[in-house]
Amino acid sequence: MLKPRQMSHLFITGSKNQMEPVIQELYRQNVFHIEEFVEQTMEGYEGVKIGTPLPGASEAASKLIRIRSIENTFGVKLEDVVPQKRVPVQQLRETIDTKLSAIVSEVEQIQAKKSKCEAAVKDLEQKINELKPFAAIPLPLEMYSGYQNIAVFTGRISKSPDLIVPNETYFSHAKEGNFIAVFAPAEHSGKVQLSLLQANFVAVPVPKGEGLPQDLLNLYTEQIAAHKKEVALIQEHLEAMKKEQIEFLAACEELMSADVDKAEAPLRFALTNEAFLAEGWVPTDRVDVLSDALVKVTGGKILVTVLPIDFEHDSVPVEYNNPSFVKPMQVLIDVFNRPRYTEIDPTLMVSIVFPIFFGLILGDVGYGFILLAMAFGLRKFFKGEEGQQLLAVLRNASISSIFFGLLYSEFLGFAIPGLKPVLFSRHLMAETAHGEAGGHGPMIPELMVMSIWIGILHITLGRILGMINHARQDHGEHRIKAVLANFGWLAVMWGILIAIWSIAALPLMPNLTGLPAVVSIVNLGGVVGAVLIVLGVLFIARDSVLEVVEIPTIISHVLSYARIVAVGLSSVAIAMVVNFIAIGMFIEPQLKNFSIFGIFIIIAGLVIFLLGHALNTALGILGGGLHSIRLHYVEFFTKFYKGGGKKYMPFGMKQRFTEN
Amino acid sequence: MAAEMVAAVDVGMSLEAIKASQMGMKALGAGVAVGLTGIGTGVAEMGIGSAAVGAVAENKDMFGLALLFTVIPETIVIFGLVVGLLLLFL
Repeated sequence: MLKPRQMSHLFITGSKNQMEPVIQELYRQNVFHIEEFVEQTMEGYEGVKIGTPLPGASEAASKLIRIRSIENTFGVKLEDVVPQKRVPVQQLRETIDTKLSAIVSEVEQIQAKKSKCEAAVKDLEQKINELKPFAAIPLPLEMYSGYQNIAVFTGRISKSPDLIVPNETYFSHAKEGNFIAVFAPAEHSGKVQLSLLQANFVAVPVPKGEGLPQDLLNLYTEQIAAHKKEVALIQEHLEAMKKEQIEFLAACEELMSADVDKAEAPLRFALTNEAFLAEGWVPTDRVDVLSDALVKVTGGKILVTVLPIDFEHDSVPVEYNNPSFVKPMQVLIDVFNRPRYTEIDPTLMVSIVFPIFFGLILGDVGYGFILLAMAFGLRKFFKGEEGQQLLAVLRNASISSIFFGLLYSEFLGFAIPGLKPVLFSRHLMAETAHGEAGGHGPMIPELMVMSIWIGILHITLGRILGMINHARQDHGEHRIKAVLANFGWLAVMWGILIAIWSIAALPLMPNLTGLPAVVSIVNLGGVVGAVLIVLGVLFIARDSVLEVVEIPTIISHVLSYARIVAVGLSSVAIAMVVNFIAIGMFIEPQLKNFSIFGIFIIIAGLVIFLLGHALNTALGILGGGLHSIRLHYVEFFTKFYKGGGKKYMPFGMKQRFTEN
Repeated sequence: MAAEMVAAVDVGMSLEAIKASQMGMKALGAGVAVGLTGIGTGVAEMGIGSAAVGAVAENKDMFGLALLFTVIPETIVIFGLVVGLLLLFL
C-alpha cells in the first residue's frame, strides 16, 4: 500500500526463430515492461546489435496511417470512441483489406469533392471582392475596354479630381474609399493621370466578365450559397459515414497498432547472429505465470532469468499498488511526480488527508451536495481515465464537505436551524444573515489553533516519513546524517513549540507556563525547548550547513496551514454576503410590503442569490482543491518526497474493440 | 476605560462613537493587511507564473513542479488574511 508494486528484473534469451512467438505471448500477457537496448561499444557487447523489425511492419504501419487519416477527417480520437461490442480479430483480419480500401476511396472522393467546393467558394469570394467597387457604377463591364481613342481610368481616390479636359466621370462615395471611373480622350491621358494622381488615385484593374457588376455580384452570391449547401450536404454524409464506420475503424486501429507494436518490438531487443536478448521488468507476482507461458509457446526452448536489482544503476519502473478507494488520487500524485521505486508511495495518505482538508475548508452541506451532483453529472462528459479519476476525487471531497458542513452547521452560508456546530463555529455574525438571532459567532482563535495543530501533525508525519525514506535509500555515512537532519528539523519545530507554550498560554494547546522558573520568564519548558532547538540546528548543519538558512520555513510552513481556516472563512463570508444582499436587502423587504413591482425585485434577488452561490461554488472548488493539494505538494511532500519514478508501461494493450 | 471616558467628554463624542471608530480602525487595518499582502503575492506570482507557463509549454511533465512554484508566494496573502482575521475577531 505504501510501496509501489514489487518488480522483478527479467532477462529473456532464446534463439532467433523463437522471437516471434515470444513477442506474441509477451504482448498477450501485457505485463512485460521492456528495457530498451542501447547499442554499446564496451567490451563484452561485441556482435550484439539492435534487432530489425519483423516482416509486415511497414505494411501495418502504412495501414495505420491511412486509418488515422480517415479518423482525422471524421474528427474523432480512439479514446473518445465508446466500444459497443468487440470484434473477433480473425474476422477483422479477413475483412480489413477490402473494407478499409473501400472506405478510404470513398472518403477520399468525398474529401476531394469537398475541397473542390471550398476552392470554388474561395474563388467566387475573390471575384466578389474585385467586383464590389464597380457595383456602384451603372456600367456593364464590357464598356470599360475596347476603345481606340478613349483612355479609361478606374480606381480608388480620396476626393473628386479637377479635370480640365473633356471627360465622362463616374464617382461613388463609400465608407471604405471613394471609387472613380474616368473616360477621357486618349490624347489627354497624360493630363488626366496627373490630376488624378494629385487626388491620391490608386488604380484598380477592371475585372473580367460581361454584364452589369451588380448582376454578376448577385450571380456569384447565389453560386456561393449553392456551393456551401453542397459542402453542408457532404458534411452530413461524412457524419453519417462516421457513425456507421467508426467502430470498425477503431477496431482496425487497435489491431494495426498492436501489429505495429509487435512487429517493431525487436527494435527494442538485443540481437546476436543466432539469438535474441530481451531485458525488462515484470511485477514479481506475475513472473511465474509469464515464464510458464513463454516456456509453453516455445516448447521449452527459452531461458528466462530473474536478475538481481541493482538500485544504483537500474531505474525500476513504478506501478502503483493501492486499494481501489485510493486509486483516484494517483492522478494528483502523477501531476506532481510518480514515486520512485524505493520511496514511500504517499497516495494513501493524500487520499485520506486531502478530502479532510477540502472538507475543513469548504465545510458546507449545500455546496457539498452541489459538488456531489457535479461529480456524478459530469461523468458523461469526461471520458478519459484521468477525468474519471479527478471526478472521483471531487466526489470524495464533496462527501467530506457535507460531513464537515454538518459539523460546522452550515448550509449555503446559513446556520442549519437547530444544529449547534460540533466543530468550532465559522459563522461570522452572532446572528444569522437575515437578522434572526440563533447564529453562533466565529471562534477564530480556536479555529486558528486547530489549523496550526493540523499543520504540526502533518509536518511531523512528513518528517518521520523523510527519516524512513532516507534510511531506506541512502547508504553509508550520509544515511545517518540525513536521517538525523530530518530528526533535527522535527526537534527545532517541537522546540519552538515547547518554548512558546512555556511563555504563553494558548487555547487548545498545553499550558507549560506553570513549570518551575529558571531565569526570569524562562522556565523548565523554555530550557527544554531551547535545548531541542540547538540540538536540531546542529543535526541540520551536520548534514548541510546551507540548510540552516531555511530554518524560518519551519514557522512559515506551519503557519501556512492557517489557510485551512482563512480560505474557509472567506468562502463563508462570501456566502453570507450573498445571502444578505439577496435575501436581506432584496427579497425580505418586498415580501413584507408586497406589491406588483416588488415581484421584479424579488426575481432580481433570486438571480443574485443563484449567481452569487454559483460564483462561490466555483471559488470553493478552486480554493478548497488548490489549497488542499498545495498543502500536500509544498508543505508535506518537501519533507520526504522526491518522486521522478519511471512509469510502468507493459508491452501489450488492453483490448477495447477487438478480441482474440 | 477611564481614559476613554475622559477623552469622550473632551471631544464631545459618545462612548459608542469611540468604540465604533476603534472598530473602524481595526477594519481598516485588516483591509490594509489583506490588500497589501495580496499585491505582494500578485507581484511575486507574476514572474513565477509566466516562467512556469513557459516551462510547461516546453515540457508538460513540469506541470506539477510549475504549479508548486507558482503557489509558493500564496502564503504571503494567507498571512495577511490571518492577521486581518485576528485583528477583527481577537
